[in-house]
Amino acid sequence: MTNLSVVTLGSDTDPYRKAEERGWSITNAADLDSSVTVEADVVIVGTGAGGGTAAETLTKAGLSVVLLEAGPLKTSSEFDMDEESAYADLYQEGTGRANKSGSIVILQGRSVGGSTTVNWTTSFRTPPQTLQFWADKMGVKGLSEEELAPFFQQMETRLNIHRWGTPPNPNNEQLAIAAKELGYSWDIIHRNVKGCLNLGYCGLGCPVDAKQSMLVTTIPTALDNKAKLYHHAQVDRVLIEGDSVVGVEASALKNGAWGKTGQTITVRATRTILSGGGINTPAVLLRSKAPDPHARIGKRTFLHPTTLSLAIYDKEIDPYYGAPQSVYSDHFQWQTVDTGPVGFKLEAPPLQPAFTAGFYGAMGDTLTDSMAKLSHTNCLIALMRDGFSEQSQGGAVELNDRGEPIVNYELNDYLLEGVRRAWNVMVEMQFAAGAKTVRPAHKQAEPYRSWADAKKAIASFPYTPFGVTVGSAHVMGGSAMGEDETRTVVNSQGKFHHLDNLYVMDGSLFPTSIGANPQLSIYGLVLKLSSQLASEFSA
Amino acid sequence: MRTNRRDFIKVSAGGAAALSVASTGAWLSGCTSSQAATGMRFLRPEDVEMLKALTPAILSGQINATDTDKIQGVVESFDQLLGTTSQIVVDLMLQAFDALNFMPSRGLMTGQWSAWSNASLADANNALARLRNSNISLLNAVYAATTRLVISSYYLRPENQRSTGYPGPPKKVSGSVPAVEAPEPGEETP
Repeated sequence: MTNLSVVTLGSDTDPYRKAEERGWSITNAADLDSSVTVEADVVIVGTGAGGGTAAETLTKAGLSVVLLEAGPLKTSSEFDMDEESAYADLYQEGTGRANKSGSIVILQGRSVGGSTTVNWTTSFRTPPQTLQFWADKMGVKGLSEEELAPFFQQMETRLNIHRWGTPPNPNNEQLAIAAKELGYSWDIIHRNVKGCLNLGYCGLGCPVDAKQSMLVTTIPTALDNKAKLYHHAQVDRVLIEGDSVVGVEASALKNGAWGKTGQTITVRATRTILSGGGINTPAVLLRSKAPDPHARIGKRTFLHPTTLSLAIYDKEIDPYYGAPQSVYSDHFQWQTVDTGPVGFKLEAPPLQPAFTAGFYGAMGDTLTDSMAKLSHTNCLIALMRDGFSEQSQGGAVELNDRGEPIVNYELNDYLLEGVRRAWNVMVEMQFAAGAKTVRPAHKQAEPYRSWADAKKAIASFPYTPFGVTVGSAHVMGGSAMGEDETRTVVNSQGKFHHLDNLYVMDGSLFPTSIGANPQLSIYGLVLKLSSQLASEFSA
Repeated sequence: MRTNRRDFIKVSAGGAAALSVASTGAWLSGCTSSQAATGMRFLRPEDVEMLKALTPAILSGQINATDTDKIQGVVESFDQLLGTTSQIVVDLMLQAFDALNFMPSRGLMTGQWSAWSNASLADANNALARLRNSNISLLNAVYAATTRLVISSYYLRPENQRSTGYPGPPKKVSGSVPAVEAPEPGEETP
């Protein structure tokens, strides 16, 4: 069996080790002993795919930028591929974030670099069907495939996004084998990596800075260009004066603990950009009591609800090692766009032990017996493309008494039917690839020994939100863009409809889900929107 | 907003009807008036007893009902894990535990009419099955959150991960030791 625990890695790749030498301005707000007010041309709230891209674009245009990040600054020197510390340090609510009812676990990043620090590097341009749907049905202007192409190209070059050339790990290989066997279309995934060692720990923070996340690309450039970065700085609200936004107010958060220190960071800026991602960007708008005459803020929040099927093989799979995602199939994704049953994308996830055990949807002897065969386990996932059908209008971000966001999103019959259909496809594929037992993630499921037995079981299960295991790693929407003010929050340039100088630049802009892992969609779109904003300054 | 325990008991005294109403959207209006148990940041003495009863059922095959040290270790890890989540998660978990701890909601929800400290492994399995298979989604949510946190508390620890055959990640060393080229997965390593 493969054993990477005998491999030793150094930590000399961390660009933040030279922060002082490079003259970077980085402040841990937790250490502030008094409140501060700073001024800038632009304040950017959030340092993920949207905030990082905007920061690079705007600082290169010569503008002064302040970046605010609620999470901590954690860099590769500290990334030791341990699940416990990574989940605690790098994820929203320590991976405890969920929808309102608790039926869907939501994985989202929360540190400098946002979700790009912990994503699995999978890079797709926004599918043309999605862009066409936005233009035809959602009132989005100027974002056709042709209009976005140069921006995708630029970000692909910037982040070294390329078709993965190393053979897929056995976990991904099973998807290709099964697709070939059953005649389904499939392909190799593009990844944003440079000098990747094919270790498999992208989700826990890349230990060697091979992943071209915002943490090691655009944010260092912005810092070189004199951007000021504050981390442990959680934005409470935008500052509204008359019809304009004039900056933001943030609270300093305590080091490694919950709660505020009592100090604040006020940024007065000519333009304010919200890049906190789905959930957090709408939450800032709601906390700010921004005008919302049509009650659109937080609505149309999408999750790519994702379900899974776990299979055990005679051969070694070692699913915790190797590039996490390298094969996908869109065979069931675009059979229809907005009519008929929900489309889904098929991929494979990395299976580190705690992650696997947490999503198995099993307990007791079933879980123990299954986990004992982890080295021989393969997992397929189906990411459902929500937000296109009349029957899939998404969830809503709400605030609790403390002003913290809660996502009210539930699996309805349309999506539960999607889960059933996805299991039928994935379980048959796993048997076709030679699996000995397969268990779709229904709480009543057993490991089945044949496709016939599994098929019968899948048909007989009751389908309820808690009966099925569904998670999400892609929160999208909530500040939908489009020209129709009655249906959207911002226009097609990302400008808030009802206040001046306020922009949204992150995945919360999307008026539907993407239908593909969203990072490159955010990079390309935000490069376009932030370039337009930069040119407004010079005009 | 915290309500007091008596208010909660009044709600739960309504029995299944009240639980059903609660499940339509709002979580049980719980209370957390008692202090955390000794050595714990969040878990109260009643929570500790309950988790001690449920852990050997959730992790059977890994932990026996007689492994008191291991069970205690999982409960301590559970408490620490809560500290890495959020106030939202902790509030909901403790509210759920209120309902699981106090009569008559405990009996109505789980069939465990006597104290958790009296529960056998079979009782614990029965209680978990009742929560898992209930038609009341609130009880399903209690099951999902409790089992996920117990399972994570156990499998997040490297020493427990080894029981799956997982060899562990590469070793990370500080300083400027150059990265060693890793072997391709599937290749034999010495």
